[in-house]
Amino acid sequence: MSCTVRIASPLRSYTAGAATLAAGGSTLAEVLANLEQRCPGIRFRMIDEQNRIRPHMRLFVNTSEARELSATVRHGDTVHVICALSGG
Amino acid sequence: MTLSASERARYQRHLTLAEIGAAGQEKLKAARVLVVGAGGLGSPAALYLAAAGCGTVGLVDCDRVELSNLQRQVLFGSSDIARSKAEAGRERLASLNPEIRVVAHALELKAANVRAVFRDYDLVLDGTDRLATRYLVNDACVILGLPLVSAAIHRFEGQVMTYVPGRGPCYRCVFPQAPDGVVPNCAQAGVLGVLPGVLGTLQATEAIKLITAVGEPLLGRLLTYDALEMRFHEFSVARRPDCAVCGNAPTITEPRDPAPLPTVAGTVRRITAGALNELLREARAPAPHLVDVREVHEFSAGHLEGSVNIPLGELPRRLAEIALHEAPVFICRSGGRSFAACELALRAGIPAPANLEGGLLAWAAAIDPTLRVA
Repeated sequence: MSCTVRIASPLRSYTAGAATLAAGGSTLAEVLANLEQRCPGIRFRMIDEQNRIRPHMRLFVNTSEARELSATVRHGDTVHVICALSGG
Repeated sequence: MTLSASERARYQRHLTLAEIGAAGQEKLKAARVLVVGAGGLGSPAALYLAAAGCGTVGLVDCDRVELSNLQRQVLFGSSDIARSKAEAGRERLASLNPEIRVVAHALELKAANVRAVFRDYDLVLDGTDRLATRYLVNDACVILGLPLVSAAIHRFEGQVMTYVPGRGPCYRCVFPQAPDGVVPNCAQAGVLGVLPGVLGTLQATEAIKLITAVGEPLLGRLLTYDALEMRFHEFSVARRPDCAVCGNAPTITEPRDPAPLPTVAGTVRRITAGALNELLREARAPAPHLVDVREVHEFSAGHLEGSVNIPLGELPRRLAEIALHEAPVFICRSGGRSFAACELALRAGIPAPANLEGGLLAWAAAIDPTLRVA
């Protein structure tokens, strides 16, 4: 199972600037764990110590918001990591 | 509110559009729109609103025009440097369209003044570069029942959404809380100059649609734009019944300034560039541990010899790397992020962290003008 993860601009320092990465997993939790292995530290920017999505981050599977890490991710899906931006 | 002959000539291309026509143009003439932040987003938004014939355009900004603004803040010219943005912007808009009324609000929006400023407007556009103000604007719009078109940018990416009371989620439904600590702004992270042009004109488009009641606004839809990939994405976002401001049992019922950060034991030491230079040159003392908390690309462009790079966002999980060093000195571009790093270190029990006052800009000015500060 492989999906594409689109990384919010403020987190691209963890992905060597890459906007998208391929990741494996059938749930959001597995996809983020897979991502963490390759981009150490990136998961903590999205998920807090209580395994909750941080309140300034949103995760979408395709166009639907995923509010739980148990959300299903299917082969070919795109997981979007969206972050509250501050610039104006 | 009828149109004069000169207005009919000026807005002829709008009058030709069946969706706008004279009735829509008269609605625009009657509209009072407030643009919060006369920066990268506010510049194009205000220009297009003025050109479109919005009867009243307000500009809120407490800053002055700097040379580095002109790469993207197209409301201003070189002759405006050092002038009040609100006032210079007012003049530019009045010159563009003398048929409209432009109001300059040269002030910092706060809980104490937001009601007084907002009460004279029907619609708000948020283009601030401060997250605290972004939440204040959202909360005030919800509480006062004002529509809001909110946009934000970062490097090559932007996002925009529209809120109309009772018709969808507010900004706080999408992002319930600002992140802890300091978020890099355009000065720190960089921004493609044309990027806010795209997002700001989207904001103006949304405003004109709301005023004239045509088309489909971005209600319950978060639109993102990636300039590098030239892609727009749209995401469905729902109102949160537990939203602190627009939810079923709101806990925010009055606009409020952000709560001060929790107090921490001990205090942040402040060290000037001159004092740090002396400390580094003092052969007998152990060299202080220098921690540069800027982003990797900023560090790569130029840094102090011997400093290590731990971007502020990574610091909470990398505190162990500096815990063995007493009295680390935190460094960033101008002293803001490094102060936040000092507070983080204090909370983690690291003794006597110091903040390089004025950051590397101060170091370059006082000690080493050849240092490249990105």
